[in-house]
Amino acid sequence: MPMVDVRYYDLRCVRGENTLIDIDNGVVESAGTSFFDRTVVRVLGQKGWGVLTRDHVDIDSKREIDALVEAAARLAAVTEDRLDLADAPRGILPVPPLGEDPRDVDLEEKTRLLAGIEASARVPEVANTRARYTEGIDSVRFLDSSGNEASYEATRSGFSVLAIASRNGVMQMGSERDHVITGFNLRNRQDLGRKAGEIAVSLLDARLAKGGTRRAVLDPELAGVFTHEAVGHASEGDLVREGASVLSGRIGERIGREGLVIVDDPSLHEFGFMPVDAEGVAVRRTEIIRDGVLSSYLHNRETLAAVGNGVAGHARAEHGAPPIVRMSNTFIENGDAAYDEILAECKDGILLIGSRGGQVDPGRGVFQFNAEYGYLVEGGETTDMVRDVSLSGEILSTLHNIVLIGNDRKMSPGYCGKGGQNVPVSDGAPHLLLEGAIIGGRGE
Amino acid sequence: MNGEDLIEKVLRAGGRAADEVEVFYVREESVGTDIKKGILGAAEESEAWSMAVRTIKDGRIGFSSTGDPDRWKECLDAALTSGRMATPQQWGGLPKPAEIPGAAPSSDPDLVVAVEDAARMVDDLLSGAAEHPVDVVGGSADLARAYLAVANTSGVFYGMDRTAASVSLETIREQSTGYEFDVSPFRADIDARSVGERSADLAARSLSGRDIETGRYDVVLSPIAAGSLLGQILLPALSGRSVKAGRSPLADKLGETVFDENLSIYDDPLAPGLGSTAWDAEGVLTHRLDFVERGVLRLFAYDLKTGYRYGEESTGSAVRSRSGVPDIGFHNLFVDGPRMKDLGDERAVWIHDVVGAHTANPFSGDFSVEVSNPFWMEGGDLARPIRTAMFSGNVFEMFREIGGLGKDARRVGRLTIPSIRLNNQQIIGK
Repeated sequence: MPMVDVRYYDLRCVRGENTLIDIDNGVVESAGTSFFDRTVVRVLGQKGWGVLTRDHVDIDSKREIDALVEAAARLAAVTEDRLDLADAPRGILPVPPLGEDPRDVDLEEKTRLLAGIEASARVPEVANTRARYTEGIDSVRFLDSSGNEASYEATRSGFSVLAIASRNGVMQMGSERDHVITGFNLRNRQDLGRKAGEIAVSLLDARLAKGGTRRAVLDPELAGVFTHEAVGHASEGDLVREGASVLSGRIGERIGREGLVIVDDPSLHEFGFMPVDAEGVAVRRTEIIRDGVLSSYLHNRETLAAVGNGVAGHARAEHGAPPIVRMSNTFIENGDAAYDEILAECKDGILLIGSRGGQVDPGRGVFQFNAEYGYLVEGGETTDMVRDVSLSGEILSTLHNIVLIGNDRKMSPGYCGKGGQNVPVSDGAPHLLLEGAIIGGRGE
Repeated sequence: MNGEDLIEKVLRAGGRAADEVEVFYVREESVGTDIKKGILGAAEESEAWSMAVRTIKDGRIGFSSTGDPDRWKECLDAALTSGRMATPQQWGGLPKPAEIPGAAPSSDPDLVVAVEDAARMVDDLLSGAAEHPVDVVGGSADLARAYLAVANTSGVFYGMDRTAASVSLETIREQSTGYEFDVSPFRADIDARSVGERSADLAARSLSGRDIETGRYDVVLSPIAAGSLLGQILLPALSGRSVKAGRSPLADKLGETVFDENLSIYDDPLAPGLGSTAWDAEGVLTHRLDFVERGVLRLFAYDLKTGYRYGEESTGSAVRSRSGVPDIGFHNLFVDGPRMKDLGDERAVWIHDVVGAHTANPFSGDFSVEVSNPFWMEGGDLARPIRTAMFSGNVFEMFREIGGLGKDARRVGRLTIPSIRLNNQQIIGK
């Protein structure tokens, strides 16, 4: 295979370690560290990509790189689709300093602190508690055939705590979590354990929500998931290019109410932060929706070349997987409504709190997500607690149905799955009032 | 150094510092081709190597894993450190070598991990999809072969080959989408053309759906929809760990009728399937496990750790990912029972798949999901598409009485399941 058939190549090597502590009902089930070292080599041949994944590559060895590039070029030769790459600005941001480096805390102390959080979830009527600590240290090195190089270290750590309350055969759960890029976060966090326990217990008395169409107030965490599922995925350049998004061909079109601004910003120091994207491209804030109008897609170099309308710098990859277009920190900017005003304006409806996750079919333009719990709103006041309530909607109409945008935006960390890869993200929004929300619940 | 030598080395070195040591080793090669917008745009090849080490000392279990053979010492040390943190528990030892009754059909000697074959499967997907007026959004064809081994200081050293061929295709027509897939250990099982055709057929036929009113309807869940809901909610409840931890709503119901008497659920590791194996991920021999027999709950699944802790026997149900700790799971799970000739003449809402099954409440069984490709089913046929709807219910309640099982069982991951008719279910329309 002559190297002339290689239009471009890059290598991304992620070497590092993961620490996991799992405590179940007071028992330390496992606590330990594992090691990984994966490299992905991409070659753009005369048509498409050849992608090679290997463990333990010495990327300082020119000979080893040459051999891998040649092997990837042979793969590229079976492709039939001519792809091109757009030029994009280079640059790397500084990684924010760690408050306390998790590596300076030994496994025993981490385990003890996590056990404290787990124990605090064990309030009366809680039958089971579980807590997990995860820590990932990624040492990333990138280089490409144009001579660009980038390297950085990312440290992520955090925990989740789950409580299950049980009474007369009825079981309900409460869960809390906090994941950060700013350093060790297990100290003095028993409050979150207690909160998980208390929510689980109070859900034992909650009613099943009744399905149907009505006004809904979303708290910042759930409104963040709404932003991610309803808008974020459909704005990803690869889905747009494939014709798999209802937002294809709608740049400049009004798709939401006036004043609505939706942003993806990998440079923000939240859980989805990255100093440079997985193709070595500089990252920056992208306004997907500006004043209700669709203004930008999220892109990598390939989708920018194919689709236009947006900026590259949104390529991300799990270690050992090729980069694809992903969200990072996605949010709705603050509006001007106070929370009390939102509840009053809701009059009769439902307040939905927290998230059990969501999913979207961007081609059909339909999304679904589930709240951890909620309250009925009657005459502008919250009344009975409800459980197991979800919300579904259609991307193209739902953003017009935002009646009020709050002024209290908060970001929540999580992981997002796409194409078999999980990457850390954060979502956020202020409180939102939606009209005509389709609420799923099995209450009669 | 090849894998076998390294395993011996880790067992010897570890055996000096711990009572027992176990190594789980995987070597895997795979190729894949990706279709984007109807054209083959990327070809991938991956090689992976991993070794996971467990150490047991005074009932404390330590764990670590590595993808780098040169770091085996670091990995072993990390496992020993990890063991010092773990809560000590009752422990009766890792399994001793046993005679393996017969080979499980887990690999296909004719499956060649070649990108050219993956590209041929892509061509077949596309030619199948071309039978209907749709656009291809994306899809893939993958071929993989792995060698897995589990070895311990009691003398167990079992190794096996596993293969997998998989295809998927996503299609669209206006705002109507279709998705189909298939996966099997055996290359000859995969009919990529038919997968492409079915995906396109779904997208084409789902166009111009009409609204449905909120209310109670009879529902037919396709194997995919039934598999999603059961996989998220019912399967975790059969794990002995959930049971003993007080997380399973089935915990105190052994011997009771929990489901319709036409419903049986069993794991058959020796049947052909993606999880076929004669020994589990801890080296315990596997056998058929009848969890639910004609509606009656018969047993729960255990691994060694949970078994020893609670005085139960391992059911050979340990499974694990390449580099993770063993967990309780299933090898080849079957949902089975007497089949109906057809799924009833009476009108029902047919559901191909659900969106958001992972948001269900696994402890209460409550779920409320958006449905994909719903149709009015009349006289056993998909008559007219429904535009969109939500489906709410409780898995543990809804399988107490089912309308019947279809004859169309298929593999959905490690689950083999037919269509299931359920009467009088809650549908939320627009």
